[in-house]
Amino acid sequence: MTLLQAERGRRELAEPEMSTVRSPYSQTSRRELSSRTISAITILVGLLAWTLITRLGLVAPLFLPPPQDVLAKFWTVASRGFVDATLVQHLLASLGRVFAALVAATVVGIPVGLAIGTSRIGRGIFDPLLEFLRPIPPLAYLPLIIIWFGIGESAKVLVIAIAMVAPIALSTASGVRNVQQDRLNAARSLGATRRQVIRFVVLPSALPSILTGLRIALGAGWTTLVAAELVAATRGLGFMIQSAAQFLVTDVVVMGILVIAAVAFVLEFGLRWLERRLVPWAGRD
Amino acid sequence: MSTLSLSNIAVRYKGQLRPAVEGASLSVDHGEFVVLTGRSGCGKSTLLNVAAGLVLPERGEASVDGRAIEGPGADRAVVFQSDALFPWFSARDNVAFALRLRGIGERQRQQTADDLLRRVRLEGLGDKPVWEMSGGMRQRVGLARALAAEPAFLLMDEPLGALDALTRERMQTLLLDIWAPGNLGVLMVTHGIEEALLLGTRVVVMAPDPGRIAHTFEAGFSRRYAAGEPIRSIKADPAFAAARAALADAIFEGEPA
Repeated sequence: MTLLQAERGRRELAEPEMSTVRSPYSQTSRRELSSRTISAITILVGLLAWTLITRLGLVAPLFLPPPQDVLAKFWTVASRGFVDATLVQHLLASLGRVFAALVAATVVGIPVGLAIGTSRIGRGIFDPLLEFLRPIPPLAYLPLIIIWFGIGESAKVLVIAIAMVAPIALSTASGVRNVQQDRLNAARSLGATRRQVIRFVVLPSALPSILTGLRIALGAGWTTLVAAELVAATRGLGFMIQSAAQFLVTDVVVMGILVIAAVAFVLEFGLRWLERRLVPWAGRD
Repeated sequence: MSTLSLSNIAVRYKGQLRPAVEGASLSVDHGEFVVLTGRSGCGKSTLLNVAAGLVLPERGEASVDGRAIEGPGADRAVVFQSDALFPWFSARDNVAFALRLRGIGERQRQQTADDLLRRVRLEGLGDKPVWEMSGGMRQRVGLARALAAEPAFLLMDEPLGALDALTRERMQTLLLDIWAPGNLGVLMVTHGIEEALLLGTRVVVMAPDPGRIAHTFEAGFSRRYAAGEPIRSIKADPAFAAARAALADAIFEGEPA
């Protein structure tokens, strides 16, 4: 019996009732693989291809180091460090910047989104500003930030925060605009003032959308990390990758990329978990 | 004794040629149960929203005891067809919402909310998230939430419209029980002919194009329930069937078959 047959057999035993419940998007029956299994297989195939290519010597290790080298490098950098800091120190430096930026962007983005969603004047002021900021790549405004704010820590945080403000503000605004009219009317007819309507109805209504915005922002901030750490950083994952690239230490570059991807993955799932805890009603109501 | 009065109301929505309501006059006294009914698009919800203060009329006067209605207010609590509950609050916090707005303390709020939940037969379900509740339960939470504001008038826009037939019958009895003590004036919109007759002390039939009041029926069946007669015996009364037929004729008057 192959592995796949075993998988099918187990599913038939464990979830006979599943075959009657079909998602409208993907018609999975118990005879087909779930998308999660397919994802796992894809990753395995990718790893296998990587191993084979390096093992057969098709590409020089300088361009693509073999997986075991990268793994070994992971342990070396984790224990002994690279460019004067261990992996954990690099990671903490980067996480610190991204979370400082997240706090700053949230403090600015949520009120801006609220203003866009609830007031004509707010919308008139902030909509063009956000639409101007949103499409600019971080590398383009980086020089200006350095000229204005120098090469200190605050400039790095600012570069990341700028990339985060627009997604937070725009999703807050869209959440605010999509508040059910009946809920607003219900609150008003029970005697709520404008402030009370915003506090008790508008903000909680928009919370699922705000959390989605935070998720997108965290992703955007994390991708801006390397740019932010281009200048005068002494620690950070982005800085580590750049230093390694300058000395052609490709295995550290690849390892750094994988760590950045893994952290992004963990952050994403952390926020999804937070969403389930904070807004269990979202999508079910 | 309070009176909610709408006189010669006209409403025209933006971008619409015909007025949604034209020249409608109506009054609801304390202790009355007035039902607005009629075909779709006859302006009955619009008229209710004028009473609620959610829609401002183009012409005409809306007032409570001579004071003009300028916006929504807790003296005229509204129950919506969509129930409009707040899913981020528990059932109890939904009910206690009006009290919270007034700055009433936590303990007092809880106690009042639990009393009201008992009154709508949801005893002990205060901690339950409303998004886990059935349509009928949610509608009862919505009713309790409106009652918590201690309104003089209860305005209900097709409150039972989304419920299944069995739940609907149980809710009708509940509405009568809430109204029967006589300390509330009720204005309710419904599509149900039988529901209108069973609940209303007065049934107002509206007609579309433009929305206007076409007929008014005095109905005594809900008073009979309040006096102790069971629903079953009221519905079995030939007078009920006759009134039902007359009301149906009035509603479908002028409608091409």
